[in-house]
Amino acid sequence: MRKVDKLTRRSWLVRIGRFFLASLAALLALPRKGLARDIDYFSGTDFVGKNRAGKFKKFYINYWKPHRRISADRWSLEVSGLCRRPGRYTLDDLLKIPAREQESRLKCVECWSARAKWSGFSFAELERRVEPMAEAVGVVFYCADAYVEHLSLETLRHPRTLMATHMDSAPLSDEHGFPLRVIAPMKYGYKNPKAILKMEFVSQEVWGTWSKIGPYSPDGTILPGTDHPLEFDKEPRRIAGGEIRNY
Amino acid sequence: MKLCWYRVFLRPTAVDVKLEGMKTFTLILVIFFVASFAEAGPMKTVPSGPFTMGHADDPSAKPERRYMLGGFSIDTFEVTNAEYTSQFPDHPFPEGANIHPVSRVTWEEAKSYCETIGKRLPTDAEWEKAARGKDGRTFPWGNKVRKRMPHPKFSGVVKRRPGTDKKDVSPYGVQDMAGSLWEWTDGDGAGGKIVRGGLWNLHLDFEFSKTWQKNIIPPEKRFSFLGFRCAK
Repeated sequence: MRKVDKLTRRSWLVRIGRFFLASLAALLALPRKGLARDIDYFSGTDFVGKNRAGKFKKFYINYWKPHRRISADRWSLEVSGLCRRPGRYTLDDLLKIPAREQESRLKCVECWSARAKWSGFSFAELERRVEPMAEAVGVVFYCADAYVEHLSLETLRHPRTLMATHMDSAPLSDEHGFPLRVIAPMKYGYKNPKAILKMEFVSQEVWGTWSKIGPYSPDGTILPGTDHPLEFDKEPRRIAGGEIRNY
Repeated sequence: MKLCWYRVFLRPTAVDVKLEGMKTFTLILVIFFVASFAEAGPMKTVPSGPFTMGHADDPSAKPERRYMLGGFSIDTFEVTNAEYTSQFPDHPFPEGANIHPVSRVTWEEAKSYCETIGKRLPTDAEWEKAARGKDGRTFPWGNKVRKRMPHPKFSGVVKRRPGTDKKDVSPYGVQDMAGSLWEWTDGDGAGGKIVRGGLWNLHLDFEFSKTWQKNIIPPEKRFSFLGFRCAK
């Protein structure tokens, strides 16, 4: 009389099959982490990236990596992290927020600068909707070109900082950061993230992509030095530091 | 015990005279020591007299002229975080940076600090004379451009203990007037207050300020590259 089944090749195969099916079922049943990253924001096979030719001679384009153009229909801004009302905002939602306009110069840490008229909404408008928690000190921006940058709440709440959706009275072009970018004119360009996909409220300063790999300070305030404005054929001009407002 | 040989080899009256002499000599030594220590301390004296101010080739500093200025004293070093927070304890600064120059203070805050300790902000002319001396030099140390880079290749401000740069010393012994931070002065310019004497960032290459160079910054601004020193 045998109480234990004989371990045959067939029974082993059956057991492995059951285990595989159970694992598959568990994987499907579990909530999927990072679901947001699976959304395809992009359309077509046309890429946007660094560009200094043609019309961009007067306003250089820098991107961390080339990326496919963002589809307005598929895009929505994810706001998460240390806030009471995390959520998603479509472009239509953002365009309904009361807008304001400002002229300011974008100063690149490399040397050049260019001026434009920007419009969009104040960060305070977004804060009112998502209600950041008391322990939040800043926001990490995740961008379409895989660029990551952190800005302190102090910088984002600065009266000259703008969440821009328009440039020179037209919606942002893909090159200039469609559909949403930050304009913080007192900071170097690398602290002005564009083509934003996600914002995360955080309790500690996070070093951005450039600060991690290059000689770029996490603070990024424009220092006293020399500027080469593109619209003045890069003629050197001394700047006092902070936002350039005198030309 | 050390004085025994005096008593053995000299008459008692002679010993007393000798002791009195030693006391006087020691007292004079102490006075000289204290005086010399004070000289290397927090303030330097700039005597009254003429000096050259401005520069013909710099639009923000021309014309170049000779001015007569009364005597004054000025801090040898920029005010540090430790000094500033001794009066205004709520001012935040990074951990371990108490010996670094204070920054992120508005013009009013800088002025208040100086007044609280019985001093004031230097005028534009006083700042320039303290850095430039009487001979109209280009840098506090002379006219020679220094080869060594004053700051690492970095787009932010790297602060150091005041006086770390032993060559950045003016003819009157005032330090860090060409490098380190920019400094608030009491001078007015178009749209703000005149700031003096910090580093210029030339696309991550840095250079020292020349003694006549200046910037104008709105008084309500606070920056990581902007500090101050006081005068009297």
